[in-house]
Amino acid sequence: MLSGKSSRDSSRDAWCESRRLFLSRAGSVVVVAAGSLLLARTGRAQDAATPQAATAPGGEEMTSDSYKPVSRPAKPNAAKQMDEKQLEAFERNLACPCPCTLDIYTCRTTDFNCGISPAVHGDIQRLVDGGYNADEIMTAMTQTYGDFILMQPRKQGFNLLAWFAPFAAIALGAVAIGVLLRSWRRNADVAAAKRASEPVRLDTSVNATPDELARLQAAVREER
Amino acid sequence: MILVGELSLWVALLMAAWTTTVSFSGGLQGRPDLVKSGERALYATFGFTLLASIGLWTALFMHDFSIKFVASYTSTNLPKIYTFTAFWAGQSGSMLFWALILTAYSAIAVFSNRKTNRAMMPYVTGTLGIICLFFLMTMCFGANPYERLDWIPPEGRGMNPQLQNPGMAIHPPMLYLGLVGTAIPFAFAIGALVTRQLDAQWLGAVRRWALLSWFFLTIGIVLGMWWAYVELGWAGYWAWDAVENSSFLPWLTITAFLHSIMIQEKRGMLRKWNVTLVAMSFLLTILGTFITRSGIIESVHAFAQSPVGDWFLVFLIAAAVATAYLVSTRLNDLQANAELESMVSREAAFLYNNLVLIGICFATLWGVLFPILSEWVKGDKITVGPPFFNAVNGPLGLLLLALTGIGPLIAWRRASTTNLKRQFTWPVISGVVTFTVLFALGMRQMYALVSYLLAGFVFGTIIQEFVKGIDARRRMYGEGLFSASMRLVGRNRRRYGGYIVHFGVAILFCAFAGLMFKKDLTATLKAGESVKAKDAYGSEWVFTSQGISSFEQLNRRVVAASFNVTRDGKNMGILSSEKRQHVNAAGEATFEPSTEVGILESPKQDVYLVFTGAVDRETAAIHINFNPLVWWVWFGGIIMAFGGLIVMWPQALRAEREGGYVAELPSESTATLVGAGA
Repeated sequence: MLSGKSSRDSSRDAWCESRRLFLSRAGSVVVVAAGSLLLARTGRAQDAATPQAATAPGGEEMTSDSYKPVSRPAKPNAAKQMDEKQLEAFERNLACPCPCTLDIYTCRTTDFNCGISPAVHGDIQRLVDGGYNADEIMTAMTQTYGDFILMQPRKQGFNLLAWFAPFAAIALGAVAIGVLLRSWRRNADVAAAKRASEPVRLDTSVNATPDELARLQAAVREER
Repeated sequence: MILVGELSLWVALLMAAWTTTVSFSGGLQGRPDLVKSGERALYATFGFTLLASIGLWTALFMHDFSIKFVASYTSTNLPKIYTFTAFWAGQSGSMLFWALILTAYSAIAVFSNRKTNRAMMPYVTGTLGIICLFFLMTMCFGANPYERLDWIPPEGRGMNPQLQNPGMAIHPPMLYLGLVGTAIPFAFAIGALVTRQLDAQWLGAVRRWALLSWFFLTIGIVLGMWWAYVELGWAGYWAWDAVENSSFLPWLTITAFLHSIMIQEKRGMLRKWNVTLVAMSFLLTILGTFITRSGIIESVHAFAQSPVGDWFLVFLIAAAVATAYLVSTRLNDLQANAELESMVSREAAFLYNNLVLIGICFATLWGVLFPILSEWVKGDKITVGPPFFNAVNGPLGLLLLALTGIGPLIAWRRASTTNLKRQFTWPVISGVVTFTVLFALGMRQMYALVSYLLAGFVFGTIIQEFVKGIDARRRMYGEGLFSASMRLVGRNRRRYGGYIVHFGVAILFCAFAGLMFKKDLTATLKAGESVKAKDAYGSEWVFTSQGISSFEQLNRRVVAASFNVTRDGKNMGILSSEKRQHVNAAGEATFEPSTEVGILESPKQDVYLVFTGAVDRETAAIHINFNPLVWWVWFGGIIMAFGGLIVMWPQALRAEREGGYVAELPSESTATLVGAGA
C-alpha cells in the first residue's frame, strides 16, 4: 500500500521544490507566484478527484485549501498605506490556508516548508505597493478565500454565537449555582429549626444547679 | 515473534469479548465463578496485548519492512531510541500503545480490588472489557499495525524528523497514560451506577486513578508545549490546536472532579455532579480522539482520515447514551440531603471553581466545534484561531486564578466576617503590592497587570497557609523550621500538595502574561553584517552573522547559520540555528527540511532565533524573537507535577503518635483544625 502514497508524495515533493525555489530566489516573487499557481492547480485537481479534503489512502498528511492568487491593478499615483510593522500586524490576522493552523506572518517566518504563506505575503505586498489600505486588502482577501482566511470569526450575524455562547453558558451556570445554593441554604435552615424545636435532653443526675443546667441547655442548642 | 504478536492481537480481542460477556452475566446472575472467569480473562487480555506489542517492537527492531507500519515510520539508519519510540509515531501503532496501557491499567485496577467492592466489580470489569474490546476491534478491523504490504520495500520511509526529539519520545506516552487513565474512574462510575452503590465508597477507588490521570496529563501537556516550542519554530508553545485542545479538555474536567470530590467526601453532596464529571472526562477523551483521527478538523497533528474516526464516533455516542440512561434512572439514589450553612463557604467556592473550569472546557470545545457548526448552518468555512481562544479563555483563566487564591481562605460550612478579614488581609496586600511595584516600574499592559495582581494574591494565600501551618506545628510540638515544614506537608499531603500545585499554576499564569511583552523582528544578513534590536526590558541586542556552514551529521545534512550575540555590549556567545535535511541509508532526502532553532535561555527571557532560509551561500534570512518568562512555563509545570506527586504519594498507614497523643482524625480535618487554630 506504500505505493498508494506515490501520488501524494509527488505533490509533496512539488511543495518542497517550490519552497526551496522560494528560499533560493527570495527576491524574484514572479517565480514563486508561478510555482504556487502550478501548486494551486495540482491542488485543485486533487480536490476535484476527492470532493472532501484530499487524503490519499494510507497518507498521513492532509491539505485543505491551497493558494489562490489575489491581485488588483495598482492605483494611479500609488502611495503605500502601510509600513512594515503594520503589514506584519495585518498578516497576523490572516489564517494561512496550509494545514499549519497558524497566521500568515507566523507561518512565513517559521520554516514549515509552506509555499503558501510566502505567496500570500507576496500578494499582500503587491497590494500595499499598489496603494491599497488594510480594509481594502482584507476585502480582496475575503472575496477570494471567504471568511476562512480570518483568524477569528467576525463579530456579526451567526458568528456572534461563537463569541457569546461561552459567556452565556457560564452566566447560566452561575445563576443555576446561585439557585442551588439558596435551596441548600433553606435545607440547612429547616434542619436547624427542627433541631432547635426538639428539647435538649440532658442527664439531670449530674451535679449541677438548675440554673447551670439551663445555661448548658442553651449552649448545646446554640452549638447545634 | 512477529507472527506471535500478530496472532496475540486476535486472541486479546477474543479475551476482551469473553471478559465483557461473563463479567456482566456473572454480575447479573450473581455467579462468582463467572465473575472470577471475567477477571482472569481481563488479565489474559493484558497478557496478549503485551505480546502483540512486543511483536511490533520486534518488527521495528528487525526492520521488517513487509509490515506497512514499520516501512512507513522507520528506516535502517534511524537511531535505536527512535526506533523504539516509532511504536507510537503513527496511527495504528499508537492505537496498540493505547490498548497496551488500557489493558495494563484495567488489570491493575481489577487486581487491586480483587477483595474489595465485590458487588460493583463485575460491572467495572465488564465496562473495562468493553473499552478494551472497542480498542482491539478498531485495530483488528480498522487500523491493524500488522498490516502487510504486497511487496517488500528495501528501505523504510523513516521517521518525521520533527518527531526525532527527546520531548516527542516521552510526550505521547505521558499523554496516553493520562488520557487512558480516565477509563478507570469511568468504569467505576458505571459499576457504582449499575449497583446503585453511590455513597462515598466508590470515590475512594476512583480518586487515586483520577489523580494519576491528572498527573500524567499535566506532564504530557507541558512536555507537548515544550516540544512545540523548541521543535516547531514558531516561537510559541500553545496554539489552541485541535489536538492540544483535546488533551486539555479532560484535564479541565478531572481538575474540576478533584475539587468537587472533596465536597462529597466531607458533606456527602454533589453525587450526581461527580458521576457526571467522571463520565465527561472519559467521553471527552474519546471525543478528542475522534476529532483528531477523523480529519473533520484541521490540525498540525496530521493524522490520517480513516474509518477509525467513525468507530470512535459510534463508541462515543453509545457510551454517552448508556451513561445518560444510567444516571437518569438512578436520580433518586444520587439524591443527597444537601445543606449549606452559608453562601460564603468553601463549598460555594468549590462550586464556582467547578463552574469556571467547566466554562473553560465548554468555551474550548465550542471553539473547536464551531467551524463545523458554521459550515453546517451557513455552508461557509470559517477559522476559529488562537485570537478567539485567548479572548474568551483569557478572562475565564484570570477568574480561575482569583478563585485559586480565594478558595483556601474561606472556611468550610461558614466563614465569619472576622475570619474573612484575618484570612484575606495578607494575600490582598501581597497582590496589591505586586501590582503597584510593576505599575511603578512602567508596566501599563492591563491584562498582564491583572494577572500579576492575582498571582501575587495567590502566592500570598499559599505562603500564609504554609506559615500558619508551620507556626502551629512549631508551637504545638516544638519542632524546628525544617522538620515542621516537612511534617506539615508529609502529614497533610492532599492539602499542602494541592497548594504546591496552585503555586505552579500561578507561576504558569505569570509566564503566560510575560508573552504579552514578546518582541520579534526579521532580518536578512550577509556574513559579517549585523542587526540591532531592543527587548522588552530595554536592553539592546546586536546579532552579527558569522556566515553559513554546511556539514553532514548522523542521518542528516545540515546547513547552519551562526550569530555572535551581544547584549548592551556584553558578549552573550554564539547562537546557531540549523536547517536539516534528513536522509535515508542510501543518502536520499526524506521528508521536508526541518529547522532546529537556536535558543538563548534564561529565567528573564528566551532569545529565540529561527534560520528561515538561506538566500544565497552566505546570506541568511532569520526571525528573532524575545520571549519573556518562557522558562517559567517549564518550571511551573515541574512544580505542578511535583505537587501532584505529593498528593498521590501513599500516606503511611500507621497512626500518628506524638507525645502520647494519638490522632485518629482523618488527615484533612486535622489540617483544618491546625489551619483554623493558627
